[in-house]
Amino acid sequence: MDTLKVRDAKDVEEVVRAAIANEQPLEIIGHGSKRGIGHAMATNAVLDLSALNAVTAYEPNELIVTLQAGAPLADVLSLIDAKNQQFAFEPMDTAPLLGTPARGTIGGMIAAGLAGPRRIRAGGARDHLLGAHAVSGFGDSFKTGGKVVKNVTGYDLCKLLAGSWGTLSVMTEVTLKVMPKPEAERTLLLRGLDDAAANKAMTAALGSPFDVSGAAHLPHQALRAKTEGLGDLAGEGEALTALRLEGITASATHRAGSLSELLAPFGTATLIEDAASAALWATIRDVLPFAADGALGAWQVWRIVCPPASGAALGTQLARETGGDVIYDWGGGLIWAALPPKADAHGPAVRARANAVGGHAMLIRAAEDIRRDVDVFHPQAPGIAALSERVRASFDPKTVLNRGRLSRGATA
Amino acid sequence: MAIMMPASDQAVLARRAEIIAALRAIVPGEGVIDTPAEMRAYESDGLTAYRQPPMVVVLPDTTEQVSLVLKYCAGQNIKVVPRGSGTSLSGGALPLEDGVLLGLGKFKRIREIDFDNRVVVTEPGVTNLAISQAVAHAGFYYAPDPSSQIACSIGGNVAENSGGVHCLKYGMTTNNVLGCEIVLMSGEILRIGGKGCENPGYDLMGVITGSEGLLGVITEVTVRILQKPETARALMVGFAEVEAAGECVARIIGAGIIPGGMEMMDKPAIHAAEAFVHAGYPLDVEALLIIELDGPKIEVDELIARVETIARGCGSVTLQISNSEAERNLFWAGRKAAFPAVGRISPDYLCMDGTIPRGALPKALARIRELGEKYQLGCANVFHAGDGNLHPLILYDANKPGEIERAEAFGADILRACVEFGGVLTGEHGVGIEKRDLMPEMFTEIDLNQQQRLKCAFDAQGLLNPGKVFPTLHRCAELGRMHVHAGKLAFPDIPRF
Repeated sequence: MDTLKVRDAKDVEEVVRAAIANEQPLEIIGHGSKRGIGHAMATNAVLDLSALNAVTAYEPNELIVTLQAGAPLADVLSLIDAKNQQFAFEPMDTAPLLGTPARGTIGGMIAAGLAGPRRIRAGGARDHLLGAHAVSGFGDSFKTGGKVVKNVTGYDLCKLLAGSWGTLSVMTEVTLKVMPKPEAERTLLLRGLDDAAANKAMTAALGSPFDVSGAAHLPHQALRAKTEGLGDLAGEGEALTALRLEGITASATHRAGSLSELLAPFGTATLIEDAASAALWATIRDVLPFAADGALGAWQVWRIVCPPASGAALGTQLARETGGDVIYDWGGGLIWAALPPKADAHGPAVRARANAVGGHAMLIRAAEDIRRDVDVFHPQAPGIAALSERVRASFDPKTVLNRGRLSRGATA
Repeated sequence: MAIMMPASDQAVLARRAEIIAALRAIVPGEGVIDTPAEMRAYESDGLTAYRQPPMVVVLPDTTEQVSLVLKYCAGQNIKVVPRGSGTSLSGGALPLEDGVLLGLGKFKRIREIDFDNRVVVTEPGVTNLAISQAVAHAGFYYAPDPSSQIACSIGGNVAENSGGVHCLKYGMTTNNVLGCEIVLMSGEILRIGGKGCENPGYDLMGVITGSEGLLGVITEVTVRILQKPETARALMVGFAEVEAAGECVARIIGAGIIPGGMEMMDKPAIHAAEAFVHAGYPLDVEALLIIELDGPKIEVDELIARVETIARGCGSVTLQISNSEAERNLFWAGRKAAFPAVGRISPDYLCMDGTIPRGALPKALARIRELGEKYQLGCANVFHAGDGNLHPLILYDANKPGEIERAEAFGADILRACVEFGGVLTGEHGVGIEKRDLMPEMFTEIDLNQQQRLKCAFDAQGLLNPGKVFPTLHRCAELGRMHVHAGKLAFPDIPRF
């Protein structure tokens, strides 16, 4: 394996140009924390961005931070936390789920675009990427977007880069929106609801004027094993439905009261605050009940996105059909499914159920040999797939960037 | 017309009668308009300084008709300009002499309201405001609120990625749209996204939003809707210096407060607005801030108090807080009427739309003043201060020889200054034809080529809305060509492991 540790955008250009000339595809990595997601790449040459790790500019009053792509996410989170700011989309830490040591880089966070519970209110990584410098598969540095929140100058290529898994361009520097951290957070907990009732409770909460910033449901099966971060909450193993309210203290407290009245038909809610609440939402964000070192660590894990109100029906049926466990986030619009190991990873069942409601599913954790035979990313309708391929080729016509990561069967 | 549009295709113009007949076969009845008198309504959009009658206007009312029209035009090498309500301020819907103007005005139906999933599925010709009105009975609304919301269509909003006063807190169109049905220039009909929070694969919805009608024709949109905040209150704060107002904006954001809206007006804008609507604006201040807080009453009351403390700390000279909806609306009345108000004090005005980092506001205002002296033209300034989006209104008289040229040069210099201060050419109005030739101020040729390659992925013939956004058009084959760089694995000095 040949690893090229680049130091600046010029280096990246040089490496990509050589890759084009030599028809040698590159695997693009930061810390490599998400290398286990996607298909095996048709290359043994690695472009390593971890040394491109500077904070170019942090301007708290402008609500922006400009970073090189290899900047460690953990360091950046500490940096902005010191100014009481955050990435409002709550980027997921995939390390516990995948069983990798490193937390990853900013570039990886954007390229994967895995947003946490606040996705429903604050948007995803794509909504917070304001601008980028990147090297395309033509070997040219280009920029898109800017350093201001409000900008419609030219096509918004940032949207494409976010969630592209490094297949369009090598991002070298990005400007991200940061937001003030809420002064207080309150989480209402309902216990013992089945999935359908929980889905209804979450729908009522998200349709209320109380500005709910997290709506998740942990069925009782998912609480069988001890999960770090849940602490006493797992208690007697009763299902847990959690609804988060954030803001200034008086407001969060007031809205928690109002929401608890609205949800009275679903039971009596209890309240957790601040640190305890934050720990619960980090547990949900990082899907700790399915952690690699936990009881279900050997199970395959799917990430299913669907219309929120369809969540419970989909999840319940899937769990019953496969003998697996599910967790709901985004008010039912995101289902994490841990399924007992199977050669096809239950792919046909998962995808049929997702398709039936207009959803889609990604196999986020499975052994490499399983991923050889199962599409990790959701297969798309032929027209969309063809357009997506044309879009990809418009950035990287020779397919030198992460060749094979998004679809099965690519060869070097 | 100062802007050069693509040369007309004489072969197409020569076949006009045949083309109209073919289009009538696809869209029967009154859906094809070809008389000069009837086409006049379509010869311009909100950028009225530019006018051009199209070759023919087509108003389809089904997706299949849109598809057939585009397929026919692609086959015959005929240019197409899509149009919603025609409120674009950047000339995005300016017709072409040899082009079909494809109006989506008949797509006026809301197809589905789904409160459980908090989405509305709508046809593109429905107005922005009509979406909010359709869900108001259940306490919901659609958040982006461009000032033309009574008239502008949601399809146009998607094309332009429209903003509005409240996008500081609630985002622009791109942050509030989940999916669409789109017809490519080839006639192919695609469905992207749906009711889920995010879409699989590349974020095509994200790049279509704000693509100014160059990538495809939207025939359906799925937007997310929100519950209306329980209440809203506003502060109206006057400052003796623009710098103090800028500092106040910075401190509010710095304190972690994201207001629902935060608008600034300078003295000429205040005077024009006050003379028009008599909102009680103070006339002896240099800058006026309108700051709106929304949410539960308990939160709004507390934040109003916090913002009041900040404003006084920044040396405010006048400060009023709304105590009723009537009062809050009065505060806004002048700001919302700022454009027509300026229209009363000047025969003509140009509305600019740059964005700068918030902190550069005093610097930008000083530059605008200098430029005004240089060009000998007045300028009234209104800003979305919270997100640094400037709307300088340049005053001129089109009947005075040379004034429009001076006004345009003044405007271009303001936008260059926005880029120089770290900002961008357009915050919400779009590039269109208005800012097209300024694109190189912000982007290199490489940057622009990458954007045009994307266009090729959607429309390889370059027939959809040509002449907009890009100053120079390249053939797709030329853009796709790979420069052969040194064919050796060089980089001897890059560390290897």
